[in-house]
Order: sequence, then C-alpha cells, then structure tokens
Amino acid sequence: MADRRRVNGPGGITVPPIYEAEDLPLPDRSRQPNGIRAQYLKTGVTPSASGSAYLEIEPQNGSVSKGMKLTCTVHGPRSLPRSAPFSPHMVLSTHVKFAPFATRQRRGYLRDSSERDLSTHLETALRGALIADRWPKSGVDVIVTIIEGDQARQVAVEQGIEEWDMMNVLGGCITVAAAALADAGIDCVDTVSGGVAALVPGKDGEEPVMVLDPVPSEHEEILAACCVAYLPSRDEITNLWLKGSLSSDANLQRMLIARAVHASKGSSQAVAASLTEAALAG
Amino acid sequence: MAAVDDIPSTALPGKVLGPTSRFAPGAGTHIFEGNVVSSLMGRVTIIPPAKAPGPAKRLNKITAPTVEELATITVSRHGSKHEILPDVDNIVLARVVRLMPRQAIVVIQQVGETVLQTEWQGVIRVQDVRATEKDKVKIYESFKPGDIVRAQVISLGDQANYYLSTASNELGVIMAISEAGNDMVPVSWKEYKDAETGISEPRKVAKPS
Repeated sequence: MADRRRVNGPGGITVPPIYEAEDLPLPDRSRQPNGIRAQYLKTGVTPSASGSAYLEIEPQNGSVSKGMKLTCTVHGPRSLPRSAPFSPHMVLSTHVKFAPFATRQRRGYLRDSSERDLSTHLETALRGALIADRWPKSGVDVIVTIIEGDQARQVAVEQGIEEWDMMNVLGGCITVAAAALADAGIDCVDTVSGGVAALVPGKDGEEPVMVLDPVPSEHEEILAACCVAYLPSRDEITNLWLKGSLSSDANLQRMLIARAVHASKGSSQAVAASLTEAALAG
Repeated sequence: MAAVDDIPSTALPGKVLGPTSRFAPGAGTHIFEGNVVSSLMGRVTIIPPAKAPGPAKRLNKITAPTVEELATITVSRHGSKHEILPDVDNIVLARVVRLMPRQAIVVIQQVGETVLQTEWQGVIRVQDVRATEKDKVKIYESFKPGDIVRAQVISLGDQANYYLSTASNELGVIMAISEAGNDMVPVSWKEYKDAETGISEPRKVAKPS
C-alpha cells in the first residue's frame, strides 16, 4: 500500500539514473597511515532548530572516496509528550537517516535496520557526555541526516564493503551531533568526537598495518575496524564498536582502540577550532 | 586576584576553567576532579564575590568562610536566548487554558524575566489558590480561561504538569478580560471590574506591585 502520510513521487514512470561505467582509479591510500582527512564544520545552519551543525569530510583527489556530508539538528529541550512517564532527567532520542540519494543503493524513507543500529550507537555515545539531570521532565531530539555517504557510486556495491562504511558514518555522526548539542546550549561534560581506525593487510604480503580514518574502497581488504566515541579532556570512551577478525592477541585489540582514540583526538581538534570560532562570533 | 588572566574568554564543553579552591561553579559549568569545568559553548564570565556595601563591620561573631568569597564562573552564549526550565520557587507567568472543579490548567509562558521558547503545562489545585479559607475556594470564582496569572512553582509535579500556587497576596490574576471582551481593572482582592459595562467578576486578584 502506498504511504499516504507523505508526498509521494510522480505517479508515472520514473527511470532510475544509469551511470556510465566509471574508469575507476586503483584503490590506493595516498595519506599517511596516521593521517585523517580534513573536516569542515559549521554550526547554526538550521535557524528553526535549537542547535544544528554541518560536517563535511573532504573528498580525496585521485581516490575513489567522494567525501562525506552530514547535518545534524537538535530540537529541545522541550516538554515530553503527555503519555511519557515522569523523568527526573532529560530523555534523549536520536535518529540517524541516510538521505535517499546518499549512497549508490537508494534508501527508503523509513529507517532500515542499519540506520536504527547507528541511532542506538549514537545515543550511547551522547548519553555518556550529557549532563541529563540538569533538565528534568524534558526531552531532546537529535536528528542526523547523511546527505552524502562516503562511498564511490560503483565500488562500494561491487566490493561489498558497505558494512565497513558504517563505522566512518558513525564517527561522523558522533562528531556532528556533539557540535550541534553544543550549539543548542545543552550541558555536556565534554565535546565528544568520533574516530575510526582499521587493520589492513600490508602491501606485498607484509605485516598488516593500522591506519586511521580508513576509506574502505581505498583498501583491498579490511581485517578489522574500530570506532570509538571519545571524550578528549576526560580521557573516557563512551561508545566502542569493534568488529572484524583479530587474533586473540589482546594487545592488538588494545592497540586498535588506541589508534581509533588517536583519530578522534584529531577530529576533536578540528571541531574545537570551528566551535571556538562560533563561540566568539555569537 | 592576579591569576584571573589565565581564564580563557571563550569555552567549549569540557574546558577546564579553574580550581574549585578559587572559583565557584555558576551556570553552564560543572565540577570534575576538583576543577570547575565548562559544560556549554560560549563566553566565560567571572562574577567577583559579592562584597558587603559600606565599610566592613567589626567582627562580632565567628563565622566560617563561605563560598560567597569565591568568584563565580559562568559560561553563557551571547546573542542567542538560552532555554531555561521552570524550577521550584520560581515566579512564573502563565495563561489559564482550562478549568476543572478541583484544579485549573495553565500554560507557563515566562519564568522570572525569561520568555520560554516552549510551553510547559502547569496546574493550580484548588487548595493552592489562596492561603486562607482554602475550603471555600471555588476554581471558577478564581480564574477564567485566558487570564494571565502570576504564580509560584511548588513542585515539578507529575509527568505532564508543574504544580503552581497563588497562595500569596502578590500572586494571582494580573490580567483579565471580561465576558464582554474588554480589559478589566482590579477593584479588590477578589474582584475585577469591566470599566465599560461596570460588571464585576470574581477572581483571585494579585496585589498590584
């Protein structure tokens, strides 16, 4: 049955876009293993929201990576619906949604399971940073929209690496949501930021290497990856997501987490610089 | 206070502002590991400790040094309005929306001097309308829908409502409109009068300040 709650598309036939076969450059990472991509952050982009932020991660020249564009709006603190029970602290709800055109595979209007999964991760990440008991009886909605997902149109589907992309997306979601919360004036113990590190096979059969801020399509294979939400001034992790096949060596796992923390420190510096600018301006 | 210079002018959440031994935490800050830490993004303001006006009195009793002697650090955003919540003991302005035999439902629109962005529902129960002769209070002789009421928050209440009270001379209806639709003027502690038609209506009147 048609979705009657929304304005649906034209009734007639529409033709999905057909892209020419791209002459793709070979997957290659031009950055240093410990380098992250540059970020652009701007707060206060949505006037109707209490707080908002826009994050752009630079596309890589000569690479298959097309960068990533995210926006986040924060609504609230506002009164809870009548049906909600009494809450002595703030009730946080997070929504992560890909725009229908964000990735090669078109997304539906309703959130699918991967988007709901991202929302849950984001909620855990932010809940550790919020001072929720300053806002009794109120709710806040954090809505992140991914305008452009970080994958080249063709490669991601062909290589079957979409699932690795989720980590990059989560890292971006955490960073942009923290900036929007700061813009909304909601008390946080720290500016949380996301960071990703991955273990990839070395070139020419060498030992596997750890890289920061991995772009999955730049690597032939990803052995394991880790995404953290990190509070830089407290040195605390609020959310940890590690997946892949690591040997049972605990040291390796610890090292991967440490690299992810390192990546989030990098992005937190970028965020702090643009937030300070916004704080000075208004 | 020579070491004030090392306090930054702007802060982000998580920025350490100074030790609690020298500063008291104000709005927009919290305490972590003995330091006052910013919890908002904005400009840092240091409020010097309140000094007693005039020459210091001669010490005639022993008092413990209080937190008042510390400078208070606050972080706030200039330009944009900061949302606040009604809290217990705040004086609020509210609009009456619905009457029931045992209570009046109101919508809180202003807390202290701050106009709220969102509306919060409150309730004035019949026993909280006035301080004396509580058993003789009738809600429909105290408020009418549309009245603006000055009230005090007595409790955060249940899931939906803040509990408000008008049990004080200064609290009660401050603006009322008659059945004919004209503005009315207060004539006694329990009556508003329509100046045009001359008809009086009962209200719980706030003492004009």
